[in-house]
Amino acid sequence: MTRTPKTRKTHRSLLQRYAAAPHIVWSVLFIIVPLIFVAYYAFTDGGSFTFSNIAAFFTKDYLVIFWKSVKLALIATLICLLLGYPIAYFITTCKPKTQRLLIVLLMLPMWMNFLIRTYALMTLLQDTGIINSLLSKIGLGPVHIIGTETAVVIGMVYDYLPYMILPIYSVMAKMDHRLIEAASDLGCNGFGVLRKVIFPLSVSGVISGVTMVFVPSISTFYISQKLGGVDTLLIGDVIEQHYTSSNYNMTASLSFVLMVILIVGLAIVNHYTDSDEGGGMMI
Amino acid sequence: MKTKLIELKNICKAFDGEQVLSNVDLYINDHEFITFLGPSGCGKTTTLRIIGGFETPDEGEVYFNGKMINDVPAYKRNVNTVFQRYALFPHLNVYDNIAFGLRVKKVKEQEIAERVAEMLELVNLKGFEKRDVSLLSGGQQQRVAIARALINQPEVLLLDEPLAALDLKLRKDMQVELKNIQSKTGITFIYVTHDQEEALSMSDTVVVMADGKIQQIGTPIDIYNEPINAFVADFIGESNILDGVMLKDYSVNFASHTFECLDKGFAQGEAVDVVVRPEDVDVVPVDKGMLSGIVTSVTFKGVHYEIIVDIDGFKWMIQSTDYVEPNAQIGVYIEPDAIHIMKKSEYSNMFGDYSTFSDEIEHLSDVTEGEEE
Amino acid sequence: MKKFSNFYIGLILFFLFAPIAVMIFFSFNAGKSTSVFTGFSLDWYIELFKNSEILNALKNSLILAITAAAIATVIGTAAAFGIHHMKSKHLRQSLMTVTNVPLMNPEIITGISMMFLFVFVGGLLGLSTKLNFWTMLIAHVTFCLPYVILNVLPKFKQMNKALPEAALDLGCTPIQSFFKVQLPAILPGVITGLTMSFTLSFDDFVISYFTSGTDFQTLPILIYSMTKKSVKPTIYALSSIIFIIILVMLLITNREKSSYERLEAKKARAEKKRKEAIAKANKRKKQKLSTEVPVFEASSGNKKFSSYSLKIVALVCAVVLIISTCVMIGAYTKNTVTLNVYNWGEYISDGSDGSLDVNKEFEKYCRQNLGKRVKVNYVTYTSNEDLYAKLSSNAVSYDVIIPSDYMIARLASEGLLQELNFDNIPLYEECISDDFKNLYYDPENKYSVPYTYGMIGVIYDANKVSEEDIGGWDLMWNQKYSGQIVQFNNSRDAFGTAFYKLGLDVNTTDKAAWDMGLEELKKQKPLLNKLVMDEIFNMMESGEAAIGAYYAGDYLAMVDNQAENVDLKFYYPENTNLFVDAMCVPTCAQNKELAEEYINFMLSEEAAIANAEYICYASPNSLVYNNEIYKEDMGEEAIEVLYPENFDFAEKYDANCYKDLDKETKQYLNSIWEKFKTSK
Repeated sequence: MTRTPKTRKTHRSLLQRYAAAPHIVWSVLFIIVPLIFVAYYAFTDGGSFTFSNIAAFFTKDYLVIFWKSVKLALIATLICLLLGYPIAYFITTCKPKTQRLLIVLLMLPMWMNFLIRTYALMTLLQDTGIINSLLSKIGLGPVHIIGTETAVVIGMVYDYLPYMILPIYSVMAKMDHRLIEAASDLGCNGFGVLRKVIFPLSVSGVISGVTMVFVPSISTFYISQKLGGVDTLLIGDVIEQHYTSSNYNMTASLSFVLMVILIVGLAIVNHYTDSDEGGGMMI
Repeated sequence: MKTKLIELKNICKAFDGEQVLSNVDLYINDHEFITFLGPSGCGKTTTLRIIGGFETPDEGEVYFNGKMINDVPAYKRNVNTVFQRYALFPHLNVYDNIAFGLRVKKVKEQEIAERVAEMLELVNLKGFEKRDVSLLSGGQQQRVAIARALINQPEVLLLDEPLAALDLKLRKDMQVELKNIQSKTGITFIYVTHDQEEALSMSDTVVVMADGKIQQIGTPIDIYNEPINAFVADFIGESNILDGVMLKDYSVNFASHTFECLDKGFAQGEAVDVVVRPEDVDVVPVDKGMLSGIVTSVTFKGVHYEIIVDIDGFKWMIQSTDYVEPNAQIGVYIEPDAIHIMKKSEYSNMFGDYSTFSDEIEHLSDVTEGEEE
Repeated sequence: MKKFSNFYIGLILFFLFAPIAVMIFFSFNAGKSTSVFTGFSLDWYIELFKNSEILNALKNSLILAITAAAIATVIGTAAAFGIHHMKSKHLRQSLMTVTNVPLMNPEIITGISMMFLFVFVGGLLGLSTKLNFWTMLIAHVTFCLPYVILNVLPKFKQMNKALPEAALDLGCTPIQSFFKVQLPAILPGVITGLTMSFTLSFDDFVISYFTSGTDFQTLPILIYSMTKKSVKPTIYALSSIIFIIILVMLLITNREKSSYERLEAKKARAEKKRKEAIAKANKRKKQKLSTEVPVFEASSGNKKFSSYSLKIVALVCAVVLIISTCVMIGAYTKNTVTLNVYNWGEYISDGSDGSLDVNKEFEKYCRQNLGKRVKVNYVTYTSNEDLYAKLSSNAVSYDVIIPSDYMIARLASEGLLQELNFDNIPLYEECISDDFKNLYYDPENKYSVPYTYGMIGVIYDANKVSEEDIGGWDLMWNQKYSGQIVQFNNSRDAFGTAFYKLGLDVNTTDKAAWDMGLEELKKQKPLLNKLVMDEIFNMMESGEAAIGAYYAGDYLAMVDNQAENVDLKFYYPENTNLFVDAMCVPTCAQNKELAEEYINFMLSEEAAIANAEYICYASPNSLVYNNEIYKEDMGEEAIEVLYPENFDFAEKYDANCYKDLDKETKQYLNSIWEKFKTSK
């Protein structure tokens, strides 16, 4: 018995054939070509080919800054994961109506301008801010936060936490809760259920959450400007400084190296987790 | 009076290099209820889609009223389709779904109202106008789909497994209703199904297809009684298919026994396929039987018992109203008119006895077909 | 467990909303500060609706977001349709990969890469403005596209494949089939894509920052330049209003969703009832199906109607928005002359606090006296380098700019400034004293008309700093005040403080001198609280920091806003930086005469006084500093600080101003500055 082939070649109208054309043209012109320009500027200086811009990245000054960016972004991502994962799980255990309300509340801050939110956070964290005045009233403070790496991490966590929670939640919400019952039925205790059933099933959400927090964290310049101190120059700040001082070649070379490192990193993560395309990317 | 409405000439179609239809020739008369019957993947749906204009054949011509319509797009053909899972527009209510085709043609709203009312009457859905289609039962959705197609007064209505998603009882009722609608409207129905019972009970003409080829065209009775080859014999109803040798006209040897039969015109000594329908085999005491064997299983089927008998290693299926004990030795008797002789074909020896038979296999194939289409 | 999870959820929500609550709270502050609450008032809301700069930015943001979202939605939906029907799996996958690039790439890189493209292409086309509304629009559409596609594509996949065929079958052409059948089926995805695009575009800062030109300032860009200085509660007021609007909208859509879920539940119930009915019918034996009882006749219609009508309403809204945008853009580009003014943030009297809106006045003046319809497009920058980057990229076009002295010298030497025609600026001779003429940056008085001048002094909190420690630059290196000192987050100014302290020439090309400066700064680093620019306002006002160097005029603003337990004082060390900011017309200007008209207008008594009172910097304009009302308005102390007595400006200026450094020195300065920042 022959089987019907899965992909049925249907007659495609002109519309179907060319509907994606504007997007393809757009993507080539405004996504691919600009990246080529980054590479071009990264490898040239005044029009002539050179490796010196790229080499500059691998000098001690920049490596220190880059390492600091990676470190802070990783810490922020880890904290987001530790804070966000349980809350995503807790939300799925709520009634549907409550779930929706909570998701709306989680999304709400994302709709606010992040400059303003970061600025407001700054006024909160100041030595004379509300937090410290409360702390000193109960005799615990004041704690010097602003201007430290801690403040920058808090800012990253604050700005990007919803990006961690929502993808994990959307994967978990789709999960069949009978699986958990089945696992408990088969003798898993609470932690076992989490480790053996829930976590493996939510990995794709975790991956996209981690990406969505890590990438903006490592490249931020506003958060470190506002919340950071003397010691918190990040790679984003340096890129921005080179841009404002019109040094396009260094701007491009730092961007280029950062991008390459991120692409390699993401490719490794995707390779080892083998998550399906898009995963829980969208809400 | 009968005129050729649609004619397919030498149609070939391949998907991704896999031949789905090869050299299909077929004509369809006006006012006919014709059914394409075959297992999944046999090309019946593709044939229907070619007629509907959703596929273009790689080779061959499609004629409609004598005019070639290969390049006429679907929306310009005077043909309407009832889709497998109805494909009702979820954003429209019952009324708007049915009125859809007329609105596209810019018919006046007043006329639309009249004709929709007429259609609702025809499919017994009066009073359902404002309903959300997704709130309807399967049978009701089915009727909306039929009304939506019929309101355009097509010359031909294509029905692609329209009843596959319904439960058995509803299916039986809808079969009757469809037949009524067809006779009331006089529109040509081209019906696709893999359910042989459905095909036999509804159609004027049945087209049995397998592997992209037409196996047999005929009335339901012809197809059942005179299957052209082992495939048709096996697919339509139950049958015991044995290897035989034609000794001379009206005499055939199979199961190590020579039988009288009604067939002639074969060469002497020609190897043939012999079909004996289970209901045509009589159970008799061993000494009165032409053949004898041991009962290996007996299943109660309601109207009759299904008895599997091992005769010289070939498992026969016999349907009998009388009960026999398993492991009993019984004799069987076969009347000459119960024997149907067929020429050897590519399907010979693919279907044999019932030793491996299981209901599930057939059932499974139905399910996969539903998934794929 | 349940209790714990509720507590935990509450805690996280508190964390997320606390800053927003603070923001809303301070939008009702009676005072100017965003960290010290001095009483309840609605002043800032009133202020907001009078502030033309913010309202204009808001309008621009809306225009941009609506246009970008509409374009992205159309292209993206078509693309999703095309991708869905794409035959080649390979092509589809590579297209999706490219589509996702803006999602995965850091925004800063997306922004920079597009800036490179626009500047390059603009150069090829010989455009005077390479970055403008259109480049921003392209950038926004680009980063919105993936969101539209990712929302719409799954809807195509979920759609019953037979639906479009059914439409064709019923006589629709492929295009009709798309609009009549497929679009309604994918509409929820399209609407989600549209709203996401709108909000992303409305909120975007990073990509806009790199791709925006002069003629179009959006809200986030404005906010950025504001947060560099002290944010006034006006912007909090605006954010609060936006917050409330979003909250209400989200709650409404949430309710719509639950009504949709009720519909689903109803379907389930109907299914159950139907099954029961069938079971009953079976019991009664064979009953003809055509008599099947309609289970719930009347109730279902209107429910469906509500969700369907919602879709219609959404569609109509979208169309109206698109049309109105087109109209607005049309009106925007209609032939009123636009004068692009590029200035520091908060550096002009803008109508807030009951001040005079100088730009509005100029527009009025043009209408009445010149019979011209002029629109002043006022855009702000955050540093001279920022201005220089924009100008030297040739990507923008400004008519009037107000850079600082050393930048004027650099711009002039690079041919980026035009000589002024002083016939069009008659007030120059009349009111600018000789002190401010023939200064090094413009020795022949060809390019510039001074706008403000000032000096850097040391600001300290008298409640924390004892009188005996004050006087020189040493205060900023005083171990006693470790952790309470702030230093400039700007290489030139930071090294300046060290150089003045050491008595070195701030414009030296001697690397050894710079190394000494670096050593001095490294000594200071452990004592520092933070490197600041405009953040100093907040930190000094709230008592966060006790010692910092800044401009005299800004000190006055800080005193106005200082918290109760803070007592800010100010002094000039022996040697300190003096600066002049002056109005110039760059070569890229498109309305030179009008620009000169504008410069002349800024010198006129009313405008100049309004500016001087608003900015609080010293004015080189005799019509201002000789004006009694101005002196009275400013107060005696302020006048003393701004215009110190027995002060020979020209001489001090020559000795202590920053001059443009040569390229090598500049690079060296940059490298040691990065060393300083990364040093332990």
